[in-house]
Amino acid sequence: MKLVMFTPGLRTSAIGRMASIVVRELTAKGVEVIVVRCEAESFLPKSSHPFDVPVFSWTDDTAVGEAIATADLVVYHVGDNFAFHKGAIAWLGRCPGVVCLHDFYLGHLFHGWAHSREGSGNNEAAHILRSLYGKDADLRFSKAACRTSFIAETAATMPCTEWVCAMASAVVTHSSWGIQRVLNSCPGPVRVVPLPYETLTRGHVVTEEAGVPGQVRVLTIGHANPNKRMDSVIRAIGGAPWLRANAVYRHVGHIDTAAFMDLSALATGLGVDFVASGEVDDAALEQAFAWANVVSCLRMPSLEAASASAIESMLYGKAILVSDGGFYAEIEDGCAVRVEGTNEIASIRRALEQLAGDPVGRESLGVRAREWAERTFRADAYAAELIELSGTSGTHPPFVNATKFFFDTLARWGGDARWLTVPSVLEPIAIFDATGTDAT
Amino acid sequence: MKVLVVNNMAPFVWGGAEELAVHLQRNLVAAGHESEILRLPFQWEPSTGIPAQMLYVRAMELWNVDKVIALKFPAYLIRHPNKVLWLLHQYRQAYDLFDAGHTNLPSGEDGDALRTVIRGADNEAFAESRAIFTNSEVTRQRLLKYNGFDATVLPPPLNDPERFPGGQGEGYVFAGGRVNGMKRQHLLVEAMVHAGPGSRLVVAGPPDTPEDAVRLQELVERHGLTDRVRLDLRFLARAEYADYLNRSNAVAYLPFDEDSLGYVAMEAATAGKPIISTTDSGGILGLARHQSTGWVVAPDPGALAGVIDAAMVGARKGDDYGRAARELWQGLGIDWPTTIEALLR
Amino acid sequence: MRIALCSTFVPFIQGGARNIVEWLQEMLEREGHHVERIYLPEVDSTDSLMRQMAAFRWIDLSIADRVICFRPQSHLISHPHKILWFIHHIRSFYDLWDSPYRGFPDDSYHRDLRDAVHEVDTKAILEARHVFTNSRVVSDRLKTFNGVDSEVLYPPVFDSGRFHCRGFNDEIVYVCRVEHHKRQHLLVEAMRHTRSGVRLRVCGRASNDSYAEMLTGLVAEHGLGDKVTIENRWISEDEKIDLLADCLGAAYIPLDEDSYGYPSVEASHAGKALLTTTDSGGVLELVTDGDNGFVVEPEPEAIAAALDRLYDDATLARRMGERARERLDELNISWSHVLRRLLA
Repeated sequence: MKLVMFTPGLRTSAIGRMASIVVRELTAKGVEVIVVRCEAESFLPKSSHPFDVPVFSWTDDTAVGEAIATADLVVYHVGDNFAFHKGAIAWLGRCPGVVCLHDFYLGHLFHGWAHSREGSGNNEAAHILRSLYGKDADLRFSKAACRTSFIAETAATMPCTEWVCAMASAVVTHSSWGIQRVLNSCPGPVRVVPLPYETLTRGHVVTEEAGVPGQVRVLTIGHANPNKRMDSVIRAIGGAPWLRANAVYRHVGHIDTAAFMDLSALATGLGVDFVASGEVDDAALEQAFAWANVVSCLRMPSLEAASASAIESMLYGKAILVSDGGFYAEIEDGCAVRVEGTNEIASIRRALEQLAGDPVGRESLGVRAREWAERTFRADAYAAELIELSGTSGTHPPFVNATKFFFDTLARWGGDARWLTVPSVLEPIAIFDATGTDAT
Repeated sequence: MKVLVVNNMAPFVWGGAEELAVHLQRNLVAAGHESEILRLPFQWEPSTGIPAQMLYVRAMELWNVDKVIALKFPAYLIRHPNKVLWLLHQYRQAYDLFDAGHTNLPSGEDGDALRTVIRGADNEAFAESRAIFTNSEVTRQRLLKYNGFDATVLPPPLNDPERFPGGQGEGYVFAGGRVNGMKRQHLLVEAMVHAGPGSRLVVAGPPDTPEDAVRLQELVERHGLTDRVRLDLRFLARAEYADYLNRSNAVAYLPFDEDSLGYVAMEAATAGKPIISTTDSGGILGLARHQSTGWVVAPDPGALAGVIDAAMVGARKGDDYGRAARELWQGLGIDWPTTIEALLR
Repeated sequence: MRIALCSTFVPFIQGGARNIVEWLQEMLEREGHHVERIYLPEVDSTDSLMRQMAAFRWIDLSIADRVICFRPQSHLISHPHKILWFIHHIRSFYDLWDSPYRGFPDDSYHRDLRDAVHEVDTKAILEARHVFTNSRVVSDRLKTFNGVDSEVLYPPVFDSGRFHCRGFNDEIVYVCRVEHHKRQHLLVEAMRHTRSGVRLRVCGRASNDSYAEMLTGLVAEHGLGDKVTIENRWISEDEKIDLLADCLGAAYIPLDEDSYGYPSVEASHAGKALLTTTDSGGVLELVTDGDNGFVVEPEPEAIAAALDRLYDDATLARRMGERARERLDELNISWSHVLRRLLA
């Protein structure tokens, strides 16, 4: 069986990391995998996660086209970041495949894509928004896009999930919350499969550093978005004298200047010890996990299908803070500390105080979290699901030769596969999709 | 030889190209070959569906065929090692009609992509053909301009020349063929206002729309021409049409900028009748030469009136012109045996 | 109504399916319908099969009110009101898979192709509003391989009123293409064993000379020249009508054909008894032994016995001939029935 997987490759991409794990498992199951890096052109030269299979760039039209034409399954990893997923969107429009949906909210992805199409003389983006969300949706969307409240204004009403799902032949997503829009727009099967993840050194548990006894060491990792509630954590610590004195709040990951200035000013004003370490390498990241005794995985609003950082933290055996609702509702009880959305700051404070005063409890929480995470977020199970999907959403191997004929002919004529994905053209060909039998 | 004529099919529509294919097939059989017609369904709306139909034609497999003669896009995309094109026209909406703004292709990036793929397919078909013929000089020029391929002009012959032996003129000018604004029969009716009292005009043929018929009828009524202009506006049986033509003094055919010689002019020349036409009639002027094979004047009722009168009066001159028209036409060698021979060479 | 009749063909080869399509077109036009006949090329080549099938999916006949499809791959055409008058599968992928006629190896590539063809065919067939076949044999195959139920719609001959009965002479006629598959040689062999004055006339163009030579050789070798006439030439419609009008009875004994064959229907319209064999296939849906003819073992002696019986028993020959005519009505072999069912 042959599978083509579009994914960002660069090392700062958690999705890329996840994809490399899945590729490893697919290969172990005898699947021939080709990886296509789908990040924007300027990122392509950056070094990539290790994939022990052929890797192409999405811009290599011929190689990618050929790979697709002979593949049993094409998989696209899509997340809410145009720079990371530009190539996936470009090819998804030409060749349907299974979309692994990492974020339900895709407003940034859409906005980036729409911006890249400006000046080409067509109003495709505006048309899509209007047909999905109503008459003036394109105007409302572009207004909101200029504001810092972009996510808040659009997450509930114009998340752009349907735009991607409508192009997919099937969707794999990582938790079932927020799935309604996917079900409404995906023409093929929709599967919920736990996001596969592993710690950097598989199974390696990070022992908590001894550090200063009684110190509360709170960590938040990943891109410093407003929805990570970092300001709430700072306020929570700042509002309790004991925490102020004993807590350190550290951020590791990308933080833009404005955010850094705001959070630092807030922390200084409240007397909170806040450190931003910026983007670090894998070793330093593991070290940060070792250092922390609490990892804040708060998200509000919750935009992701699943939180890679929450899963990673659990795999490290850490005690984590999670928001209620969304993906976090699916975490087994006793594996994380839930923070209420209402009275968020007070709730964070209570959680930090409780964890600070109970090292044994912290440790057992972490152990339970790790065990549950290891059972649940398995890459081999994910790979098996993808293989199974090829049986239901792939085409008969004998038809692959026909596809190649058409694709080659179009290419010779200076055209491309988009002419095969026009609905009136694609729909009659659905008769060649295999049903029920594994195409391996 | 087993010769397969390959043409498009717009289901339930039958037109000039279909007639041509039938006569080509019959004449191939008459020349001793086996011949059948393959008609490939093609719908150009929506335009986004055109590439898939191009692919379906390309995927067709032919067996037991020695030679293919293909007539139109996308039929000529069919694969065969011994393929000849007799190009009636390409998909003009991707070429000259696109440039003129008359197209069903979308504007912007999608339209450009469609034009690219159509041109790419066309060029492949042209390159793999053993020979390319076109039905007129205009088509040949278009092919050269847009695709860079040269072709030989091979105008379609008359299908039934034996119906047009000519004969004595009985005192009228005959205007045959489809009736519409481009064919400009109205100019002839207007000319009759200024023509002499002995002149007569017969306009006979199917109007494209009811409005085309009404326009002529109103002109006749308004100018009190009912006794001098006969309008027979319907589809005529071949024998009826030939009868009108054979018994006329002269045949008038003055369309605006036509591509080819024009069947009406070819029929007139076959019958040895002088041809009345206008300076902007395009391809017709290949047969209509002023004061040689007939009269060619400005597209203006006054000028035409003078010509109509001349056709009524000068019987000998008319005969001379008619003879010259026939000689010119025969000298062109546009007949089915010659055409078949050229296609199969 | 605007009706598109779609089938596949090999250029310059006249096949039986062309008659069904062209006669149907004529009958529909007589009823005032607008009919477009679409013949598309098709080649049974395993390498290009799937892409040919895909090509048929992209044929746009939406302008027709109804589409009637005959030979594969036309059944793949997509239309909201598709009707199949299914003549046969691509048999090398179906009932001829386990036979010397498969023509390609039984390896995993071809098995995958076969399974894909079955699946795609089934889906395409199920798209149809109604599935008709030309015989019980084909209906059974559709059920066995594709799980699809279908209705048998027997193809009538064109202008059947031309056929009539004028009398009963001493000849059994076999008017048909002369070729090995039709087994004229079996009939000639049978004439070695007849005891009565029954005679045999074999008429039709031979598709190859060697078979025709074999037949005339048989006649000469066994001294059958006064009992057997072989006319190796094209028989015109009028000649055929005359032959059937005057004959004692008609034979039709091909090896395992799907459909009953027009010769047997023509003879039935002419009110003549039919002689066929147990392994002739679809013609057994028409002929019942002892009713409208004889169904005997494909052995010269058995055939000879039936030939003698027809000669010896004039009443039987006449009665069976009448029954043959009635049987056509019983099986609804008529254009009015066909049009009623197709346009329902």
